[in-house]
Amino acid sequence: MNPIQETLEDLRRTNGVKACMVLTNDGLVVAQSLGARFREDIVAGLSSYLAMTTNKALEEGGLGKFDSFTLHAAHGKSVFHDIGEAVLVVLLDQFADLDGSRREIQSAAQRLRRSARIG
Amino acid sequence: MNLIQRLKIWKELRRLEARVREEPSPSTFVDLGQVFLNLDMPERALQAADDGLLLFPDSADLKKLRTFARRGVDRSRIDELRSRLNKNPTNRLYGELVSILSESGDAGALHATCEEWSVRFPQDTGPWVWLGQFHLQGFYRSIAARDGVEAVSCLERAIGLDSEQVRPRVLLAELLYRIGATQRARTLLDAVPTDGDDSELQSLRQKVANTRSLGNDVERLLQSAEENGLLPNAPPIADSATTRGDDGIGAIRDALAAIAEMEGVQKAAYIRGTRALVKGDIKDGKDPFLRTVRVIAKAGHRYSRRLDVGSFKRGVIQGPFGVLCICCYGEVLAAVQCTATSPTERILAELQEVVASSLYAMGVSQ
Repeated sequence: MNPIQETLEDLRRTNGVKACMVLTNDGLVVAQSLGARFREDIVAGLSSYLAMTTNKALEEGGLGKFDSFTLHAAHGKSVFHDIGEAVLVVLLDQFADLDGSRREIQSAAQRLRRSARIG
Repeated sequence: MNLIQRLKIWKELRRLEARVREEPSPSTFVDLGQVFLNLDMPERALQAADDGLLLFPDSADLKKLRTFARRGVDRSRIDELRSRLNKNPTNRLYGELVSILSESGDAGALHATCEEWSVRFPQDTGPWVWLGQFHLQGFYRSIAARDGVEAVSCLERAIGLDSEQVRPRVLLAELLYRIGATQRARTLLDAVPTDGDDSELQSLRQKVANTRSLGNDVERLLQSAEENGLLPNAPPIADSATTRGDDGIGAIRDALAAIAEMEGVQKAAYIRGTRALVKGDIKDGKDPFLRTVRVIAKAGHRYSRRLDVGSFKRGVIQGPFGVLCICCYGEVLAAVQCTATSPTERILAELQEVVASSLYAMGVSQ
């Protein structure tokens, strides 16, 4: 298993995390750990849509790009982390304690950033 | 739970009941409600939450307790209705069950029950009207074309089964009027006898008669409403907003000003449809911040809906610019740009309060 995949598998074991994925900025899947509940193409398509639209809106508003985007929906949460040339997407359930899992997500993002740089 | 454990809990319960009377506070009510929940008495927990909310209406913990207890009460009622339905299914029991499921917002169970109901009683309009109403609520809340299409299909099915039933006709006519298909709305309303008109139906007839039609292609009109994030003809909430005068907006303006004064907050905005209130370092409605948060909220809505995780509620975006906090409910959104060291959680709670109170002022919470 490569280090990126390993990081994602570790991250998915965190409490409340249902799925995670690394996407390039243009929406190609680098690695994923989604389980049976999610379809890769749907998560990838929607995540890249949200990340790209958000970055475009921020840039047009003169604000640059996002480092992280935490989204709370009625039945789930999502966290997007910029990791250089790619984005780490983490899907959590609605009851997940974000404060509790933030450290794991950030350390995973850091490891992925390092792996991407070495790769 | 054994007898000794039960006795201990009862003792604790008596102590807490006395404490609630002597030193009422949100936490004492929550503790009491928690014990009732542990004893599997959700009705008493609900009562404790309601009593607490009378004294402390803004307590978030009490609201949580109420929601939790309500769910417990609903669950036991649902179980009871289910077992009765298994023995002797009737339309009335299905209606009661679906009504509880609809209130609890359990979309999956509601769909499954309506499907079962329609299979057992294929000539009954009930399941289609309920499903139609459920999708209508979703459509009015988030203006998602998919919900609108489903609502139209369910209501048309109900009308097909019983063309004399007034409710599905009126619901469908109102939806068609809201999206601009007034000609089709008029045709539907013309088939409803006028002798039983209440004031709402009369007013709908008048509006439909006086509004220009934007076409008859319902799918295209729904799609265009979703793209614009707006209904061409004001949603049901607009009427109550105008009758209540400017009080709601005044309170929102004050709350927004208070948020703009919070530590590290640079810009604060409240947006409803095409209108915006701004505070802080924003000159006017043309500030790019407004467009940025609007676009992000809309993308958040689409992402959440299509990922099937319900509607987008909050977003926190961090970057070199600091932090953007966005709170949404349907077409209402409140947003802030602040520094990275600002108390984000407190700001989000305040934004949520602004959105919630504006909805209350508009009558959505009713």
